[in-house]
Amino acid sequence: MRLPWKKTAREVGPQTSAFERQALPLLPSLYNVAFWLSRNESDAEDLVQETFLKALRGFVSFEPGSNFKAWIFRILRNTYLTSRSGLAMRRTVALEDELKGSEEAGPARIPEAAIDRQTPETNLLRMANRDALQAAMETLAPPLLEVILLCDVEEMKYREIAAILEIPIGTVMSRIARARSALRAAIEGEIGSSREFRT
Amino acid sequence: MTDHFSQVTLNALADGELTGDQLALASEHLAECPSCTSKALYQSLLKSATAKAGQRYNPPSQLQERVASLASQANSERLAHGSRSFWKFQSLGWATAALLLLFSIGMMIEQRAADKARIVAAEDAALVTEVFDQHVATLAGNMPLQVVSTDRHTVKPWFQGKIPFSFNLPEGLPRDTTLDGANLTYLGNQPVAQLLYSIGKHRVSVFLRQRSGEAKVNPSLTERSGFHVIESSTRDLDATFVSDVDPARLYDLANTIKHAQAGEKQ
Repeated sequence: MRLPWKKTAREVGPQTSAFERQALPLLPSLYNVAFWLSRNESDAEDLVQETFLKALRGFVSFEPGSNFKAWIFRILRNTYLTSRSGLAMRRTVALEDELKGSEEAGPARIPEAAIDRQTPETNLLRMANRDALQAAMETLAPPLLEVILLCDVEEMKYREIAAILEIPIGTVMSRIARARSALRAAIEGEIGSSREFRT
Repeated sequence: MTDHFSQVTLNALADGELTGDQLALASEHLAECPSCTSKALYQSLLKSATAKAGQRYNPPSQLQERVASLASQANSERLAHGSRSFWKFQSLGWATAALLLLFSIGMMIEQRAADKARIVAAEDAALVTEVFDQHVATLAGNMPLQVVSTDRHTVKPWFQGKIPFSFNLPEGLPRDTTLDGANLTYLGNQPVAQLLYSIGKHRVSVFLRQRSGEAKVNPSLTERSGFHVIESSTRDLDATFVSDVDPARLYDLANTIKHAQAGEKQ
């Protein structure tokens, strides 16, 4: 015998399972970005857990069909900004000023000489060195690191990144340019030091 | 596009952010410019290498379990809440429906009672009008009574076979009251015994008919153009008394006739 409230109970289920279906596969990505930003395992765990809690609470207001990944990453980012490591990052006023100045002045241009000095093969070899690149990424300031993580690792569009970081697309583009220049400089620095070490 | 690519353009190219037109122009330029081609290649390689290097940290299994359990727990709570809300809502709904039903039934009963009261009142008013008209017609036309007798043993038998009921006439009447005779008449298409009495010089019509509807336990008095109309009931009969005599004396006669129906003597 079918009971009348069974239907209602089943109808409630899919709404929540929709959250699980969309959010749980993003756990590795969220944790990865959280770890990169917080640079700490336990902070990253707390950050992700809090993000999930907030997302669960706010899922009723999430508009179905819109970008869930961008939505939950925005929650993660806002949670990070209010976390201990996020607050520490925000206190880096000098860096922000430097970024602002460089963003206003346009993206930094890579010196032509830097490119000409290296052959693509050399660069490829360096970039293939995962540890070297990770070390270079660790040197990035958080505002640059987060755009590079969202753009390259999470393969998000500039529009999505702008929405998550709550900045104009132009700022996203200039930060990406700045971040890649910094990575390139870091990699070249590694090459230089390796050469010096070898000689 | 003849100028070399800016860093932003190189990034947009690597990130797939160029529009169709921009991409066509960029491809045209790349075909002719080895320097920009080298930079674009580098940018693409850097992007893919960063993507690989960036995939560095994997969530510990306990975090995965915790988050999954969190989502599942929230699911259960939401289900329970949903169910509670549903039951709460359903209970509220049923209670509201029951209240509405009770209210509707109450309204319906009240409406029916009011309708019934209105019908009874209208019937009573029509009856009063009819008996009043009959009484006035009897007096005004100075028409002879169908049976003229002061003897109750003459009057009562005269109705045999004429009406579908029987009645008693009191042996003793109130002071200064006499039986004058009777008529067979009709009220509401029903045969009725109209008894004529005199109280002093006042004429009194007493209409006896088979009872229909509820008995009037307490006699009621209404006024009509200076005439008094008393309605009363016995076990089987309805009686209506019309006269311009003092109501107290009319009541006396009404009580006497009422008691006579029960076989009592006043």
